[in-house]
Amino acid sequence: MRQDSPLWHAKHVVRAFLLLIIAVIALVLLRSLLVPDSWGQFGWYRGDNIAEQRAKEQRHGGNISCLECHDQEYETIAGAGHANVKCEGCHAPVALHAVDGEWVKEMPVRREAELCLNCHQWLDARPRAFPQVRPREHVEEQGGEFGPAVCFDCHDPHAPL
Amino acid sequence: MQDKKNGCDGCGDGLGLTRRTFLKHLTTVSAVVASGAVIGLILPEGAAGAVDSTYDWTRHRWVYLIDTRACIGCGSCARACRAENDVPEGNYRTWIERYRMNAEGEAHVDSPQGGEFGFERIKAGGDVRKAFFVPKLCNHCAATPCTQVCPVGASYTTRDGVVLVDKEHCIGCGYCVQACPYGSRFINEETHTADKCTWCYHRLTNGRKTACVDICPVGARIIGDRENPDDPINEIIATQRIHVLQPELLTKPQCYYSGLDMEVR
Repeated sequence: MRQDSPLWHAKHVVRAFLLLIIAVIALVLLRSLLVPDSWGQFGWYRGDNIAEQRAKEQRHGGNISCLECHDQEYETIAGAGHANVKCEGCHAPVALHAVDGEWVKEMPVRREAELCLNCHQWLDARPRAFPQVRPREHVEEQGGEFGPAVCFDCHDPHAPL
Repeated sequence: MQDKKNGCDGCGDGLGLTRRTFLKHLTTVSAVVASGAVIGLILPEGAAGAVDSTYDWTRHRWVYLIDTRACIGCGSCARACRAENDVPEGNYRTWIERYRMNAEGEAHVDSPQGGEFGFERIKAGGDVRKAFFVPKLCNHCAATPCTQVCPVGASYTTRDGVVLVDKEHCIGCGYCVQACPYGSRFINEETHTADKCTWCYHRLTNGRKTACVDICPVGARIIGDRENPDDPINEIIATQRIHVLQPELLTKPQCYYSGLDMEVR
């Protein structure tokens, strides 16, 4: 380029323009790398997260999930005072015990008064109509002696009373 | 005076980089990152779980209802929630508070270990005249302050009305934890991200109810669909006296309470 050409004097402008183009390309490139693919699919968040949230493992299966192997207990509970109490409430989520019919781990069986008292200990905040006991008085009234598993002497947790 | 390289004192000190070599390295790094992204696009996505593909989130809007008069404070819901959602010890996505008021109207409120293992018979001080349990969880507010403050868009409301946290995107800044007036959020110490009740989105959108609703032995917790006219929750909301927590904050909570006392915040 000749020194008397007007572009020769505009060299600093050309440089600045080139730098701007490089900056814009870098921005577009970085954005495409850093912004997740599904961003903005449904809103200002990562759309793929919806599917991820939905695909999480379901661990509680409800009483129906116990029926296949424990049909007797299932029937007993359904026809007695604990019909609304869920198997998994006293034991554990079914997924910790069996998955797709395959045995995983022993199901916990808590034969402890503490378990019963979670619901039936007399408390002033509980609804009056709900069956509650003052455990020591209750056991002594029946002529027994209070112990950590005393409830099961008289009550079957699957069919209480 | 030491001799100045490139006419700039301290330039590239430490790493021994000049501007030229820095730019060269930058080009290399960008090329590597770009090729990584291309490979990422080619590889197939991870297999999804057993998800109900017929679920259309535009045809549902979930709401929750708690009957404080029915709750017995057994803590089954909090235990089920922990087991279902891997909630770390010491954090709660749902918890139960016990309110006891004496004749003077003074309230004694406690929630030992979130009520997860039930409540003990301890003195409240004074003669208890009024007492009840209040289960709490995220209110999934329709005008929620928590998603507004998220600086990275990691927290959002789904079209079916559930407020969620994307733990892959969350930076754990804790703004949302402070923004929630109900104390429903926490920082999960294992993932270092914000964590909260999801209304068991993985169950709700696949034909089940939340773990807490399913496990409650007295039916104190109900979840239902406002878009489904046959859902019994709509009849309850239409005919019974219901309330929300702190309505004065205008967050439009989607957890309704029946039998709520004005002492409850």
